[in-house]
Amino acid sequence: MSSVGAKGCVVVTGVGSGIGFETARRLLAADYAVLGIDRSPGRSGELSSSAGFTFAQCDVRDGDLQRATIAQQAEKGRIVGLVACAGIIERKPYLELDEDTFDRHLDINLKGPFLACQAALPFMRGQGGSIVLVSSSIARTGSATAGHYAASKGGLLGLARTLALEVAREGVRVNTVSPGVTDTPLPRAHASDAELYAKASRIPLGRIARPEDVAEAICFLIGDESSYVTGQDLRVTGGAGLF
Amino acid sequence: MKTVLITGAASGIGLATARLLSQQMRVVLADRNYEGAERAALEIERGGGRASAVEVDVSDARSVARMAEKTQRELGDVHALFCNAGVSPKAPFEEWRESDWDTVIDTHIKGVFLCTRAFLPQMCARREGAIVTTGSDYSIVGHRHGAGYAAAKAGIYALTKSIALEFAPFNIRCNSVGPGPIETPLLRKGMADAQWAAHKAARGERVPMGRLGQPEEVASVVAFLLSERAAYITGQIVHPNGGSVMW
Repeated sequence: MSSVGAKGCVVVTGVGSGIGFETARRLLAADYAVLGIDRSPGRSGELSSSAGFTFAQCDVRDGDLQRATIAQQAEKGRIVGLVACAGIIERKPYLELDEDTFDRHLDINLKGPFLACQAALPFMRGQGGSIVLVSSSIARTGSATAGHYAASKGGLLGLARTLALEVAREGVRVNTVSPGVTDTPLPRAHASDAELYAKASRIPLGRIARPEDVAEAICFLIGDESSYVTGQDLRVTGGAGLF
Repeated sequence: MKTVLITGAASGIGLATARLLSQQMRVVLADRNYEGAERAALEIERGGGRASAVEVDVSDARSVARMAEKTQRELGDVHALFCNAGVSPKAPFEEWRESDWDTVIDTHIKGVFLCTRAFLPQMCARREGAIVTTGSDYSIVGHRHGAGYAAAKAGIYALTKSIALEFAPFNIRCNSVGPGPIETPLLRKGMADAQWAAHKAARGERVPMGRLGQPEEVASVVAFLLSERAAYITGQIVHPNGGSVMW
């Protein structure tokens, strides 16, 4: 027997598509309530048939709105988790990289999760909770024309570890998930379907990641199965980049 | 029903994993301590699970071959493998005896080689399989007075990744679990109650989460890595260590 939101509420940013959407769907099925945040609803309408789902339109760069949105949710039920998925990638050759593009990546990919953690943490401290920040295998490998993206995702690893140390004794765990190329709208800004699927030939398991693959890893880190795991990076890469 | 074989299953992390996985799989508990493995298997069976015990010295090729042959004969194929057997001698570096060195390297690195080699062919034939090996935080940060242990566990990581690469085309995944300080007989090493309580408190204090981990908290990570939910995760190390090492 499932009961709506029995396990408490998980905040998911970037819920409108890809990994965020898939994670929200799995969390709802596992009896969590979900507060989904995104700049636009995207596919999140498909989740609204679940009684435990709430959508809030919010740009993750807007710290005040994010704080108010999460505080409002906390009045309805216990906040037990945060999954920061919202992110962008716009590839540009390094010498053509303008300051605006650089700032936008750092603001959305790194400062957004920072603000989300600040907004959600007060409700988890002392009560227990789990935070998952979605980084990228590019944080470690780098990627030509994506230095700004790599920097933002690498920053997440440092942020997560530091926060993990700071709140470890207050029952809050903080981890990252680093996916390889994943079959979502994000990489499609710069790659056709054919180009995307062609990357499979260089991946030991022979395919690019599905959003479900990454969502499962996130759900594992949110749940009690990973109760002694904190400050870690779980790499969902199909065996690519083993270092 | 699928079968999982666990080495070092008579105690600690191996035993906790056997208990957890017995809720959904048939479990083969392999250990040098056959009586312990048999006792644990009986306990699991009494609880409604399917379990059996087999004796093995993972550092001995003939013993591993006997284990694999007996398992195949009685239960058929093994679908998942947890290479977990370990020993942990400690001594200042200059006092390490060559025989201790050989034991620790043979049990860990050669043990993983022999056990994976025994079951990989049938996994390849089915084009499906999942393997988890047990590493340690010490392999990353080093271990004062445990040089051989740290070296052996680091070797396991390199072996695990190599297996992951070579067998990925066969849809076989191979990952490691790298525990921090866990409340196991290996950590306790026969300490009396009072000494153990003091040791636990002091050791736990050095962990960011402020406590030692329980074997069950490693078992749940192993169960995840062996499951279909980790279908795209291979060649990785997951560290249930309370934040002790972040890497």
